[in-house]
Amino acid sequence: MKTPFGEMLGVLIRQRGVIGSMVVSESDGIIVDSNLSIGVNGPTFAALTASLYRKARLAAQAAGLGGVAFLQLEAERGRVCAIGRDDLVLVAVAEPRANVGLIRVEMLRALEGLA
Amino acid sequence: MTFAVVENWVEPPLRRFVDDARVLIALVLHPSGQVLAQSGFTRAVDVMSACALAAAIHASAGELGKMLEGRAFGGLHHAGRERQIFLAPVLTPRSTFLVLAVFDRESSLGLVQLYFNELSSGIAAAAPLPVEQAPVLANDFERELNRNLAALFGRA
Repeated sequence: MKTPFGEMLGVLIRQRGVIGSMVVSESDGIIVDSNLSIGVNGPTFAALTASLYRKARLAAQAAGLGGVAFLQLEAERGRVCAIGRDDLVLVAVAEPRANVGLIRVEMLRALEGLA
Repeated sequence: MTFAVVENWVEPPLRRFVDDARVLIALVLHPSGQVLAQSGFTRAVDVMSACALAAAIHASAGELGKMLEGRAFGGLHHAGRERQIFLAPVLTPRSTFLVLAVFDRESSLGLVQLYFNELSSGIAAAAPLPVEQAPVLANDFERELNRNLAALFGRA
């Protein structure tokens, strides 16, 4: 099924080292649209990432820091980047060799399309 | 968090589910409405009502699914303004059980579904094998129901 987010996700997945991208509902933790490589458990990943993003957003608010601009989680074998707007979270999963700067620029650009 | 079980084997997987999924209320019941375990209720009458309603919803949704798709629906989710419910069956060698979970913004449907899958596996693995039972009669049903509620709320 085609969604308005297909093109945005396609641009992200074409970045070097990106192995998955998806749009997730922040409140439900359910995938709205995704472009994932084999091996990424989409529903599980979406539920946990949405929860992580929501908690980060609430923590930033509680600390008086305002909204979360860009969330990056560095793990042993890769990283997770997330950015959100209006209850939607755009998530990218990347290998360690990925250029986070470029991914961040693309995600900030894509943020406009999330509304 | 109040927690009570009628059958001990339900407790470990249900406790894990409540902790992981951050649900406010969780019920494990038989499709007939008999409760096996509960978390989050403080009054027996609430458990009884919730079990009766959950069993009725499951039965109605199941028949609706059979009419539309030829088989019963799986999980059912209803989102309220503040709270949401998730109701789904768990298939075990012994019987089918129902799980009712109530959650708010501290959790999400995705998380509840994720940990429900673990709960299903846990219940299926822990459930004892079926034993020969006499048919359930109306009189027995009420007695069994009251016995379960008494066990849950410490009046056994």
